[in-house]
Amino acid sequence: MDVTFWGVRGSIPSPGPFTVRYGGNTPCVSVRLDNDELFILDLGTGARNLGTSLFAGPFGKGQGRATVLLSHAHWDHIQGFPFFGPFYVQGNHFTVVGQTRGEQLLDRVLERQMAAQFFPVQTYRNMGATIDMRGLSDEGDLKIGGARISATLIPHGGTQVLAFRIEADGKTLVYASDAGYDKNGPTPDALALFQGADLLIHDSTFTPEDRAQRLDRGLSSLEEAVQAAFRAQVKKLALFHYDQDYTDNDVDQLVARGRRLLDDKGARAIAILGAAEGLTVHL
Amino acid sequence: MRVRFWGVRGSLPVPGAPTERYGGNTSCVEISTSSGTRIIIDGGTGIRRLGKELMRGEFDQGKGRAHLLVSHTHWDHIQGLPFFAPFYRDGNRLFVYARQRDDQNLRSVFASQADAPFFPVPFHKTRADVAFRELLDGARFEIEDAQVSTARLNHPYIATAYSVTADGAKVTYVADTAPFTDILFGHEFVSGPALAQGKLSKSDRAKLAIMAEDVVRLCTDADLVIYDTMYTAGEYQKYPHFGHSRPQDAIAVCQAAGVKCLALFHHAPDRSDSEVDTMLAGARALAKEQGTLDIVAAYEGLDLTLGRG
Repeated sequence: MDVTFWGVRGSIPSPGPFTVRYGGNTPCVSVRLDNDELFILDLGTGARNLGTSLFAGPFGKGQGRATVLLSHAHWDHIQGFPFFGPFYVQGNHFTVVGQTRGEQLLDRVLERQMAAQFFPVQTYRNMGATIDMRGLSDEGDLKIGGARISATLIPHGGTQVLAFRIEADGKTLVYASDAGYDKNGPTPDALALFQGADLLIHDSTFTPEDRAQRLDRGLSSLEEAVQAAFRAQVKKLALFHYDQDYTDNDVDQLVARGRRLLDDKGARAIAILGAAEGLTVHL
Repeated sequence: MRVRFWGVRGSLPVPGAPTERYGGNTSCVEISTSSGTRIIIDGGTGIRRLGKELMRGEFDQGKGRAHLLVSHTHWDHIQGLPFFAPFYRDGNRLFVYARQRDDQNLRSVFASQADAPFFPVPFHKTRADVAFRELLDGARFEIEDAQVSTARLNHPYIATAYSVTADGAKVTYVADTAPFTDILFGHEFVSGPALAQGKLSKSDRAKLAIMAEDVVRLCTDADLVIYDTMYTAGEYQKYPHFGHSRPQDAIAVCQAAGVKCLALFHHAPDRSDSEVDTMLAGARALAKEQGTLDIVAAYEGLDLTLGRG
């Protein structure tokens, strides 16, 4: 299983010289199984570069298939949808999995974004590819191709987001962007989903100091990310969804602080990295 | 008059090393007059950093006032607004201007951007006093000491060009628009790249000719024209139905209108910094053959002073 980061930034894309190393695109992560099956976690602006990279293969010929897993529909997690090239190629087939029931997901997340006043394509029906919607609440756990996918709702301020666990090729990846817990930290449901993962991609928007000023945002700091990794005994933690104003140097420090926090807990065995655009983690 | 560029990109923001010099934020231009009138054209992602800067002054105390002219409501021209900090401070006054629509009032178009499930803070929780002014094609009005004129543009779902005159200087913003030759855009979806050249009806051709005249008039004697030059000639052949122009179109309008300086603007997301350099060099060579138009390629941070400061 290969996990590649295409967008790692929270809230709004953040171009400029200070974000060149980690990247300024909003969340998108691709997961390629050993049998070549493709899963895509969220469709922030990073999805545009992923789409471009896929054109060389079957997606350029209208023979591609992939499953898209959407954590939630805040802009930074869907704004790459209209710019994901493979959606415009007839013959490609996508299943989009999200938190609301199928028809509602289609209408609320995709169709309203494509409406004529906002985007020239006017409706997703003008895009070409076949797009099926599956609401997770309809199905519970999913078996898709060679992967078993479980999802759990976790808190995100006043709302909730889906965290996804993908088990395939004898490995486990968990994606928990936009997790934002109350003062008790990661919920039991969240920890159960994260348990023993080979890689946990966890929200780590803020330093603990910045989070204390912005509790209403419903996002995690480095501390919650480390706590989640430690309590769920994961093997590797990827910090993710950085604040739009954090520079590359700020993120370097976030990662270094995370290492120290893990060491202080005696969790030297848990690896930590800062998710960066273009980085692939092989599990 | 001072003109500052906060976002120069079209379609969607493109962070990364290839766009470091010109910038990856979507469209946003700030115009301020010597008496302090503040006009912002378009609210792409560039407006976020403008908002942060404004919060260092009177907007932080809730005493700020700004006028936002919106060319049209495609995402790349409004997607920064929910992140514009002055909206979230009591007392600030913001006036939003855009073309009147038949099907939906302006407030509801903007408010829907902040609806659940898309954004955590609903528009009615915006703290500033926000007033919407709907414009008819060709509207002319005053904003404090500035005179504003408008013209309809040739773009899917229709866009508006603005000229702002103050301090003895004139700047005209022409984005987004296709050339006025091949396709007449309106509210219908235009699906294919087939150029309509030679197939335009007489009445469509006449409408485009009037639109072109109005745009030239809006640019006449401008010190600066900011123009949608998203495409190279080759790209335009492939994507005429997306509604954007080439440098040659902007140069033709500017030369017909006696413009001093043209800023290439709304760079394509795939255009790297060195490709913008190449486009600029090509445009300068083309303009030199035919006259004395100055040309720059707009970049984030470009700061121009026109007329009386």
